[in-house]
Amino acid sequence: MPLTYIDIEKQKTWRIGVFFLILLFMYFCVTFALFYGVLLFIFPFHFLRSGSLMPGNQIHLLLIFLFSLAIAAMHFWFSASGAVQSVIKNLGALPPDPDDGMHRRLMDLMNEIHVVTGDKRKIECRVIPSLSMNAIAVSDLKGNSAIAITEGLLSRLTRSQTEAVIAHEAYHILSGDCMEATVATSIFGMYAAMIEKLQNLGEDDRRGLHPAFFMFWILLKLSQLLSMFISREREYRADAASVRMTRNPLSLAEALHMISRNWRGAGPIGLGLEMLCIMNPRENMLDESEGFWANLMSTHPPIKKRIDVLLRMVRSSIADLEARENRETKKASSFADSDQHYYAFGPDKQWKGPLPIADLAALPWFSPLTWVSSGPRKVVRRASDDAVFSRIFNERPDLTGGEVMSLKCPICRQFLFGIPYEKTKVNQCRYCGGILVENTKIPRIIARREKEFGERVKSLAKAMVNDNQRRLSIKKLTGADSKAKPHLNCPKCLNTMMRTFYSLAYLVEIDRCGLCNLSWFDKDELEMLQFVIENRITATMPYD
Amino acid sequence: MNMIILWICIGSIILLLLWVIRVYNSLVELRNEVKNAWKQIDVQLKRRHDLIPNLVSVVKGYMQHERDTFEKVTSARSRALSAAGVHEKALAENSLTQALRGLFAVIENYPVLRSNENAMHLQEELTTTENRIAFSRQLYNDLAANLATKIEIFPNNIVASLFSFSKAEYFTADEAERILPSAETGIRMK
Repeated sequence: MPLTYIDIEKQKTWRIGVFFLILLFMYFCVTFALFYGVLLFIFPFHFLRSGSLMPGNQIHLLLIFLFSLAIAAMHFWFSASGAVQSVIKNLGALPPDPDDGMHRRLMDLMNEIHVVTGDKRKIECRVIPSLSMNAIAVSDLKGNSAIAITEGLLSRLTRSQTEAVIAHEAYHILSGDCMEATVATSIFGMYAAMIEKLQNLGEDDRRGLHPAFFMFWILLKLSQLLSMFISREREYRADAASVRMTRNPLSLAEALHMISRNWRGAGPIGLGLEMLCIMNPRENMLDESEGFWANLMSTHPPIKKRIDVLLRMVRSSIADLEARENRETKKASSFADSDQHYYAFGPDKQWKGPLPIADLAALPWFSPLTWVSSGPRKVVRRASDDAVFSRIFNERPDLTGGEVMSLKCPICRQFLFGIPYEKTKVNQCRYCGGILVENTKIPRIIARREKEFGERVKSLAKAMVNDNQRRLSIKKLTGADSKAKPHLNCPKCLNTMMRTFYSLAYLVEIDRCGLCNLSWFDKDELEMLQFVIENRITATMPYD
Repeated sequence: MNMIILWICIGSIILLLLWVIRVYNSLVELRNEVKNAWKQIDVQLKRRHDLIPNLVSVVKGYMQHERDTFEKVTSARSRALSAAGVHEKALAENSLTQALRGLFAVIENYPVLRSNENAMHLQEELTTTENRIAFSRQLYNDLAANLATKIEIFPNNIVASLFSFSKAEYFTADEAERILPSAETGIRMK
């Protein structure tokens, strides 16, 4: 097993060359045979149909063939030359946002990769607004090329890990792997559609085009086979090239490991684009197996082997990697799920409880003056005197800083302030703490995990989810919502905003304007949403 | 029979000439790429010179106590701008790198700056600038190694000595740069 990236690159390039020659030879034999076979086939066929195409009329056939070749070439050119644009549009990938700290980092990383590759080719970068983790590289015949990265990957990997991923994709583009894959993807789709249309036409079929298309279909299948055959080798080689560029095999190994454990984008990343990704969005057994058939048909190599090869360069192993990752995630705070239950003296002069802290904190009449006790025979004290509760009350959001924006708070009617939140900009009201966000920024905020949540937010979040679940069920059953507040007006277009839950899985109530694509979160609701999604909290209490 | 031998000889001479041309051209291409990569390092260094004053002034207000760190950066930058000659320039650039590393380490010591947008922007810019300089030097070294290999391997070295191609020098880190700065404040670098 080669130990350095140079050895890996050389070995894989050599193998790719050999496979290519073998397949080219097969390709050539097959087309040759097919051409003559098709000629023999269509003669009786067309003779039976119309009689206008006489057997032995070679010249006519040749002319028709050349004509169809010209049309096919034109189709090839048109569909493949704009391939980058169409792929980017399909993915919904947007250019990076200069106001966003992470996107600026992405742009800086792209520039660094340009420097390290000698700036041979201008590569665009795009961001896919999805929480999945994956990266795609596309390039087409016109010379355009682009790397698209998902928000999830951008937000969850460190700087050097992202750099390793980008270097891998950049190498795919520079070595021409992407061009073949993108072209095959865009053409094959078009041809498949065309062939179906032709088959459906029936009486109206254009005789001259039939055999040519059939042959091209075979050729395309063969070229797909060719790409699949060497696709595994290409991935190894691109990994090695990434190490050559960044000199950091550990980061690439960590990045691959993390991507392999997360959602890789099956769904948003459509069929046919898998070859262009750094890791197959659709996880399947074929990818993870070795052997002749798997080597032939699968587009990506087994993940474990990729990571092993990389870690071997730093004399480490997957076990070490996982041990380190576990240590780091333990450091991240977990919701202090204290089983400690408390009683609280309510305004109706009744003791309520035993309830966990989260529920107590969510009771509407709960205040620092409320009497609390941890048990029937235990000391009774004010909530403000109890260390645990006072922590909840002491946390107040920092509502300072930021520049004045032109939009007004829908509740307080005061100007909003642009504040940095999770490395991107959101608009906050200084009076009520509510936040106005563009819808395109929400996936980013959810994916990023740098914000630490205070105890208050955590307690509120849990209680709120339960409460909303209850309200939702009541509403569904009775059709009435007792706690509904009046609807707000959009700050931008002044239409009424729709009040909805962020999603039925995560019951955080927000107001949305469909025309302006803005969402309004009341005080703490954005943090609560982040917390709830990160910790996958759903309603647990039975509704009474 | 003689005719055939003649044709074979002519053919092989032509092939040999073609091979020599191919090797010569590839050596020329590689040499030019190496020169280009050398100039690219200067591009990144200049970018650093131009970027520093703006960024540093933004963060200065927050860190009044660290005035001497800022002083070091400013003076190192002006020295780097005024340096002449390759050796002097290299030394000045290295001392600027060190001064910036000191600044970087100081920023890490101010947790309040983590939430400050401008300070984070500065940190990002410093990181990417140093990375770009490092990458451009890395590219230069890789290309220089390629050139050296192509010149030294067996069939090519004949052509290389014929047209007197020479290897390019590697970019090495100066002794000064090898001292890593400590993140504790107050430690002075020589």
